[in-house]
Amino acid sequence: MTQNDTHPLVAAEGVAYATAGRTLLHPIDVSLAAGEMVVVVGPNGAGKSTLLKLLSGELAPSAGRVLYEGRDARAWTPWRLAAKRAVMAQSEALAFPFTVAEIVGIGLDGAAGRLGGEARDRRILAALARADIVHLAARDVQSLSGGERQRAQFARALAQLEAGRAAGEGSQVLFLDEPVSSLDLGHQIALLEAARALADDAESPLGVLAVLHDLNLAALYADRILALSDGRLAAAGAPADVLDARLLRDVFRVPLPVHRRGDAGPPFVLPERPRGDLGHGAL
Amino acid sequence: MSAGLAAGRLADAPSALAARRRRARLGTGLLVVVLAAISIVALGAGAVAIPPGRVVAILWEAATGAGADAGDGARDALVVTGIRLPRVAMGILVGAALAVAGALMQGLFRNPLADPGLVGVSSGAGLAAGITIVLGERLVPAALGIDPFALLPVGAFLGGLATTLLLYAIATRGGRTSIATMLLAGIALGALAGAASGVLAFMSDDRQLRDLTFWSLGSLGGATWSKLAIVAPILGATLLATPILARALNALVLGEAEAYHLGIAVERVKTAIVILVAAAVGASVAAAGVIGFVGIVVPHLLRLAIGPDHRVLLPACALLGAALLVLADIVARTLVAPAELPIGIVTAAIGAPFFLWLLLRRRGFFP
Amino acid sequence: MTRAKDISMLATLARAAALAAFVCAPVCAPGAAFAAEEERLVVAGGVLTEILYALGAQDRIVGVDTTSLHPPRALEEHPDIGYLRALSAEGVLSLAPDRVLATDAAGPADALDLIRQAGVDVEILREEPTEAGVLARIREVGALVEAEEAARALADEVAAGFAALAQARATIEAPVRVLFVLSLQNGRAMVGGAGTSADAIITLAGGENAVSGVDGYKPVTDEAIIAAAPDVILSIGRGDHALSPDDVFALPAFAMTPAAAERRLVTMDGLALLGFGPRTPQAAAELMKILHPEAVIAPVIAPLLRAEATR
Repeated sequence: MTQNDTHPLVAAEGVAYATAGRTLLHPIDVSLAAGEMVVVVGPNGAGKSTLLKLLSGELAPSAGRVLYEGRDARAWTPWRLAAKRAVMAQSEALAFPFTVAEIVGIGLDGAAGRLGGEARDRRILAALARADIVHLAARDVQSLSGGERQRAQFARALAQLEAGRAAGEGSQVLFLDEPVSSLDLGHQIALLEAARALADDAESPLGVLAVLHDLNLAALYADRILALSDGRLAAAGAPADVLDARLLRDVFRVPLPVHRRGDAGPPFVLPERPRGDLGHGAL
Repeated sequence: MSAGLAAGRLADAPSALAARRRRARLGTGLLVVVLAAISIVALGAGAVAIPPGRVVAILWEAATGAGADAGDGARDALVVTGIRLPRVAMGILVGAALAVAGALMQGLFRNPLADPGLVGVSSGAGLAAGITIVLGERLVPAALGIDPFALLPVGAFLGGLATTLLLYAIATRGGRTSIATMLLAGIALGALAGAASGVLAFMSDDRQLRDLTFWSLGSLGGATWSKLAIVAPILGATLLATPILARALNALVLGEAEAYHLGIAVERVKTAIVILVAAAVGASVAAAGVIGFVGIVVPHLLRLAIGPDHRVLLPACALLGAALLVLADIVARTLVAPAELPIGIVTAAIGAPFFLWLLLRRRGFFP
Repeated sequence: MTRAKDISMLATLARAAALAAFVCAPVCAPGAAFAAEEERLVVAGGVLTEILYALGAQDRIVGVDTTSLHPPRALEEHPDIGYLRALSAEGVLSLAPDRVLATDAAGPADALDLIRQAGVDVEILREEPTEAGVLARIREVGALVEAEEAARALADEVAAGFAALAQARATIEAPVRVLFVLSLQNGRAMVGGAGTSADAIITLAGGENAVSGVDGYKPVTDEAIIAAAPDVILSIGRGDHALSPDDVFALPAFAMTPAAAERRLVTMDGLALLGFGPRTPQAAAELMKILHPEAVIAPVIAPLLRAEATR
């Protein structure tokens, strides 16, 4: 292949993952461009998190490869990759009493090296403001609620991207693994608005890839939706194409009739109680 | 300090960040002063009564190379430069290394209760020392003319290192080291070493048993310039290398995956930490026996005082660990002079009640 | 298991610390008066202290180690320099000694080296639980403190004591089987096997070690005690710490030994019994009187007791 600007920001070519004799993800092709927000949906165990870990470079694929601007992710040094992409993972509780500001600061330290004193503080405060948690700056993370912790992690990922930009990295990627699972509706929307704004940024648009459970939020914010089922790509495309009643029934095994807001508005699903012949009757 | 911000006044955030930074800087500065003061006291205090002026004069003479006078003067000079000075230097190095090693282990295992014992350093070193004490006379041919007791530090160092490397090999598969496996294997190997030590205790006579006990309580009494010359490079290199790991440790606290996302070469960092800790603790144990408590109390205390950020925490640990050990040594060698207490007793006697008080206060038992 | 040991160790040391601080206070004070001109000795090794006292050279002593338990006043009259295996160089030097007398067990080597560097003469004397060893040590100590005359007299007396014991042993036809029990914890007996000073004193007293197959001080099983078939149980202790026949023979293993029939439990002062020094012939003679009342023993003089009396 040739090295030129036509390479997509992130591309997975025939990426598959198997461990302990079980295939978690069958070969799949995915690409992500700058300015694009892609949402991955699917039932539990469909391989969503595995796909995200493969794309972010955390896992080495058992087949195929993941390319960042045409270069294999495993060939990037960790710190160069850290300037290129940030990951907001499903986080665990911390053992040490770091403050929220310090956690966000750790995001800065990765790529931006030794930013000192007030310059560092300014960037931390900017990230805190974007995640709407300036008021939590001096709080011990161990005392935060699940939702507050999630927003702190979001701010940390934003700080990491900011540090990468400061280190001269151009197009960047943000991975979000179930970023709104602990948030109330208002903060779910606020976080996804912030992510969408980063993708839409006129100067340096981000490529955003998020794993979400809420199909309506997915339809509302995604440029494209990837639906995974049993480690395979069941569907990919614009929300209007993927949110199809028959497809969703096959993927989620419950009836999910699709509706529309007005004539050309985004589609939305309204769950129904399963009838006898469908759904989890087998259970 | 979080109280001032809990109300959520946005304008307070920048000043709170600055305040925490100031507090860290102030704390570190204070620790430097405390360590210096304790070291000066340590040079002046001891079983031999030497007036402070005389101590200063002796140090000045030693520094400028002026000749020492004869008689009592020569004896005083030997006490200050040949006994106290290497002892204070050894106390600083060993105390700093133990506290830093504790902080490194706690960061690596993401557990504030982890200590170097968890990676088998202490149990391996202890077993090797036991073997040297009990079997040394049988293992070392008398013809070589080597005192088996003199081999104890070497044995302890090699034993600690060997155990750690074995554990590391057990826990590493396909280039990835499982910290959980390492912890469990460490407990298993510790139990095995304990059993082997029990066999040694069974085989040993009264004197060897007392040697084992004394050794397991630690002492800086063996600090000489020649021993310092061997141990100082190992401990010094460990201490100098740790600041490089501070950012990586901060990231590791979030989790290994997160650390990788943040650009840390996680496997390399884990290897570096384990080797540094094994070397530091092995050398400390070799030089001063087993000294408990410093590795857990000092980092915990400092996390409460100046926060868990390893960039500040690691140097502060080195300073406080050094100060605590030199202070404990002053007590150990003056309280029952002309005899000497094992220093492990003193560190535990100072550290444990203080630690308990700290814990109880945090849980609201004291105002 | 080491933890429990550490804790008991800690308690012991805490007591020792309190005691030592108390004892040393007047001595450590600057300006304490010392007898002038005499050589100042620091002693590391209980037997050496005992010999110095027996030679009447105790006034030269300026410090003794924690094993210097006899005579009991040794540790009261002199500062305690700690356990002889864990000496403190500065602690010893603070007593301004001219010479350190130590057994080959003393250490650590680094501390002894530092003491030597300070211009203090360090004399190392070998320790062995034999007749010849005891006599040699008496002469060596005598030579070092320039008390050759007294040492020769003491050595002669001790040698005469050993000779009397040997004569008495010759009259014994059937040696009694003796089991030395160092401690009895949770019914588990720690016994003295071959190579221990308990074994040596039993032999000197004309007895036979019932567990000569065991090496050193070891815990043994109940069955081993029954198999050893001791006629007498020998133990050490003072006052409350001594084992009582009721305690010992209540245990099934001991109840099944020949010793249980006549409830023969002998308890003696541990220092005299196990520390090989000038008092050894005396202690052996006392033990022999109990083990073998039929044996004819010429009077064995306790040199130390006499030296004490003449003070």
